[in-house]
Order: sequence, then structure tokens, then C-alpha cells
Amino acid sequence: MGPKAATLCLAVALILALIASPLRAQDASSTLSGTITDHTGRVVPNVKVSVKNLATSQPAETQANSDGIYTISNLAPGDYEVSVSAAEGANTASVTLAAGASQKVDLVLNVTPPSSEVQVGNPAAAPAATLPNAPSTSKTEPSLEDLGFSKTEIQSNAAQQALLDKRTRMLKIHQRMGLITTIPLIATVVTSLNAGGKSEGTASRDLHVALGSLTGDLYGITAWYAIRAPRIDRTRKRGPIRFHEAMAWIHGPGMILTPILGAMAFEQKNDGEKVHGIAQAHGPVAIVTAGAFGAALVSVSLKF
Amino acid sequence: MLPLFLLLAVSNLFAADHQWVLKQSTLTYHVSHPLHQSEGVSHSARGKGICHEGQCDFLIAVPVKTFDSGDSNRDLHMIQVTRGAEFPMVTVRTRLPEAASASETIMADLEIEFAGQTAHFKQVSFQVVTQGNEKQISGIIPATLTDFKIDPPSLLTLPVKNEIPIHVEMKWSQE
Repeated sequence: MGPKAATLCLAVALILALIASPLRAQDASSTLSGTITDHTGRVVPNVKVSVKNLATSQPAETQANSDGIYTISNLAPGDYEVSVSAAEGANTASVTLAAGASQKVDLVLNVTPPSSEVQVGNPAAAPAATLPNAPSTSKTEPSLEDLGFSKTEIQSNAAQQALLDKRTRMLKIHQRMGLITTIPLIATVVTSLNAGGKSEGTASRDLHVALGSLTGDLYGITAWYAIRAPRIDRTRKRGPIRFHEAMAWIHGPGMILTPILGAMAFEQKNDGEKVHGIAQAHGPVAIVTAGAFGAALVSVSLKF
Repeated sequence: MLPLFLLLAVSNLFAADHQWVLKQSTLTYHVSHPLHQSEGVSHSARGKGICHEGQCDFLIAVPVKTFDSGDSNRDLHMIQVTRGAEFPMVTVRTRLPEAASASETIMADLEIEFAGQTAHFKQVSFQVVTQGNEKQISGIIPATLTDFKIDPPSLLTLPVKNEIPIHVEMKWSQE
């Protein structure tokens, strides 16, 4: 073999090695881990955990450590059956491993014969032995586990609580600002009776503009706190809040349009003209806006 | 063979005599506000009673978030003020003599865990109606916000009343 051929062979071998390496890594990179506990929630150490690939029937097993934690690496992607059996009980779960994924499957040892399947990733699913109608595992006092609640249902969620706290804080400010906004809003509507008159003086119009501006500013702050309040996932909106939000789609645009039309009407009046064109809509738009705002306020305050 | 028989006999002696299982329930809280009244209902309670040597220990639990007032905004606010994400379950424990199930009225001492607090309610009265193997139990738990150190929620700056009576309707079955 000449130097050229040797170099070619070396290059081919290098390319093959580079291609093969990630392929091999992809094949065996899935990992399964979890914690073994008994029905009281205590970890069960040193228990044997077995997995079986349901497509190939290829078995693998490991032993949980002193904290009840087990890890099985280098598993090919696919559907597996995970089983654990000890003096404290047994259980079996099904799990699907994606390529390169690390899947966590915690197993609770059932005192009664193991359930056939635990649906991984569904917090509502509970081992058959912990359903409410199953016999209690305690001889004296029942426990929450006896009632069949899932860990997710029982678990404290401080992050969610913080989100709810923030939401309430912001909506309280929204509510108070909404109430405060009502005062200049009413005053603006009242002063509008003189603002559009035939009087040559501008004092009443100026007052109307000033109150309208104040209303707009306060309204903006009110709206900001509602819009920026955190949304809570998986909450279907029911009740008066739906009407309250529907009204916002009327008074929101109205609060933008009203001052624009008002500025046009103000300009026309100051020029000694009669209010004409689109500016004539200032009054009706303002009334609809104020009405929608009032309806939104009442809808969350009173029960109909 | 004899030791095995004795062992089985002894273990049976200490086993639970029988159990009660909660089959159906309706729990309703009532809140009063100067502008209106509201109530939240949950049908998601689970319960079990284990009877042994003439005494029955009961546990009833219900997730806070399952109470529905028909207003999602109010329900979220209720979960927030009761710290329902931090303490997601309401649990009620009580111990009753087995013979109580034969009475038409039960007076129960209740230990209720809610919003991270434990409150005790003495001699709460429940009516019992027997239907075959099942017992229908109804009553009102005279709970207040201060029992659980809950700040009264407010609407339009007006706080709700301190009293939040909980109306209980349960159907238990002996197993």
C-alpha cells in the first residue's frame, strides 16, 4: 500500500469513526431513574428494579441506593415495563423512553399484589391499591394515601402561590383604580353638558378637557394592572368575569377614540365652528364608553 | 402448623374490624358580603373510616381547588387567600364510637386542617339517615375565617363576613 492509499484508508476510517460515534451515542443515551417508596411515603433502600423492553424483551436491572433512588442508563428508545418487588410490596409501571431522554418514574410499593400498569406522566392516575375503595393499609387511622390522592394533588406549590399572590395584588390595585377612575369619569360626563354649548367662553370646555384627560390617565393605569396581572394556566373563565372582560373590548377602544374625537371637536369649537364631521361622534362614543365602563364595574360587584 | 395458625389468629386480632368508605359528597361553603352572597361547591371529597375495637377513625379530604362558585375569578381569589397552592388539601379527622352509626344524630369533635392551620370544632351535630348499608350524613360546620387565620377577602374595599359555614352532605358505605 502506497502512501496515498494509506492516507485515503486513514481518512475513510476517521470519517467512519466520526459518523459512527454519534450514532452509537444516540442508540444508548436514554436513562430511566426514580425513587422507590412504600405506601407511607418512606423511601425503600437497596431494592431491585427491573426493566424490560416490550419490543425486544431485552431485560435490564439495577439496585436502588440507600436513598431508594435507582438509575438505569444506556437504554434504547422504546416502550418499557418497570417493575420493583420487595418484602414491603411490589409495583409495575409502563414508560416510553424517547431517544436521548431522561425519564423519571417513581414507584410506590403496593402491599396488595402489584397493579398491572401505572400511567407515567398523568398525575390523576393512581395505583389501584390506593384508590378510595381499596382496603386501607393501616389498622388504625386512614391516611391521605389511603384515599388515593396523587402526589401532585397533595404537593405544595410555592411558585403557584406566589403567582396567585401577585395576581391578587395587581387585581386589587386594578379594582381600586377602577373605582377612583369612576369619579373623574362621572365629572367629565357632567361637565360635557356645558362644554358643547353655544357659549363663547372656554372655561367649561377646558374643565371638561382637564377632567377627561385625568380620566384617561387613571383609566390607563387601571387597565395596565388588569392586563399585566399573571394568568393562571388551565383556568377556564366562568361567571361575571367574562362579561367584565367583554365590556373591556368596548370601553378600551372607546377610551382611546373619545379623546381623539374630543380634541377634534375642541379645535372646531375654538375656531368658532359648529362641531361637524366625525367629531360629532365624540358625545355618543363617550356615552357608550362610560356605559360599558359602568357595566363592567357593576358586573363584578353585584350578583344578578 | 400450629405456630402459623396462632400467628394468623393474632394478626387477625389486630386487623381493622371494618371500614367506612365515602361514596358521594357535596361540600358547600357560604360567604357573605354586604353586596351579595356566594357559595362554592365541591363533590371531590374522598373519605375513609377505619373501625377497630369499637372506635372508628375517619379521614375526609378534599382539594381546595375543586370548590366551584361559578365564577373563576372568585375561585382563584379563594385559592389565593386560603393559600390553596401551598396547602392544597382540606382534611377533616374525627373519631367516633362504632355505635354512633346507629344514632340519628352524631355529635363529632372535628380536627380540620385548612390553609396551613389546624382548628378544632367540638360537638358538631350531624344528622344520620340509614338507607340499607349506607348512611347519609348531613350537617353544618360552623367555620370562620379567623379559625384558619385567613384575611377576609374584600370586594370594592368591603370585606366579607367572618363566618363561612360549611354545609356537608355525605353518603358513607360500610365495607
